[in-house]
Amino acid sequence: MNTNFVMRASERGYNKFLSTGESSSYIGGHPEAIVTRHSSFNFGPYQTGRAPFGRMRVFGDETFSGPGCGYNIHRHHNFIICAFVLQGQLTHVNTVGNIDQLAPGDFYAFSAGSGGKHCELNLKDEDMHAIYVWIVPDQLMLPPSYVRGHFDALSNRNKLVTLVGNADGALRISQDVKISRLVSDTSMALDYSPASKLHGVYAFVLEGEVGLDGTGLGRRDSTGIWGAEQIHFTTGPQETDLLIVETAA
Amino acid sequence: MNNEALKRFMCDGCGFLYDEALGLPEHGIAPGTRWADIPDTWVCPDCGTPKHRFEMVEMPYAAGHPPRILLLDSF
Repeated sequence: MNTNFVMRASERGYNKFLSTGESSSYIGGHPEAIVTRHSSFNFGPYQTGRAPFGRMRVFGDETFSGPGCGYNIHRHHNFIICAFVLQGQLTHVNTVGNIDQLAPGDFYAFSAGSGGKHCELNLKDEDMHAIYVWIVPDQLMLPPSYVRGHFDALSNRNKLVTLVGNADGALRISQDVKISRLVSDTSMALDYSPASKLHGVYAFVLEGEVGLDGTGLGRRDSTGIWGAEQIHFTTGPQETDLLIVETAA
Repeated sequence: MNNEALKRFMCDGCGFLYDEALGLPEHGIAPGTRWADIPDTWVCPDCGTPKHRFEMVEMPYAAGHPPRILLLDSF
């Protein structure tokens, strides 16, 4: 049964991975590189929280600190892994044949399908901060693929933009999931209509303040909503950055 | 004989797929081996995630997969 919830930033899972000791083969960078991950849903070593949401399995708010820090190359199947870079520079390498460097606003969708490896690294001194979203595909063993896009916050100010999903200019993935982003610099109302009442909406406040039927959501707070015909968000008045994942049940 | 339909399970850690119809002969698990008959101590051969963190999946295969179609029910 899918129920609605509000999740405060502090209620998320927290994991810290060092590039030394037992995780040294998995975590790149040395000797003081650290990956931190706030998980909205149960994933990996964090298993005492909320179950995943619809077709989404992972919503990770991650920081790679220290040059060379990140995940060394490792194998996946099936999952569609999306990254949305918020700060710093992410170097992504995959066995589809891409070496990509992503800056704030850039995002990608890597579909591991029948098998693919990837590596996620911060090669710079500045911290790299990204949101990682994992989605189960609608078919098993698809051909592996990689696509990337860019969200321009300036030209899209005060406008909800679909980044991933079935929309003009969005990255297409093989699943009934849509990911959108709104950056606003004024108080505004956003009426969000899911594709159907069977779709769920997970909204995550990257920055600023978002109101929802009298409930205030602050930085890194989030909410999950099922069965709504329309969801009424308000933002601002200060700069607000909101990421919305809509998914089939 | 167990007439229940053969099922598929996906690793929550990396997406590795266990298909009961295919087994994992390269890891000593014969085609047709039921998930329940794999020891609880078994872990994902790709990423080490424990067996209880696999989930049953019902989505179809993409065109061209699986590479070997085994119609075990006809055996």
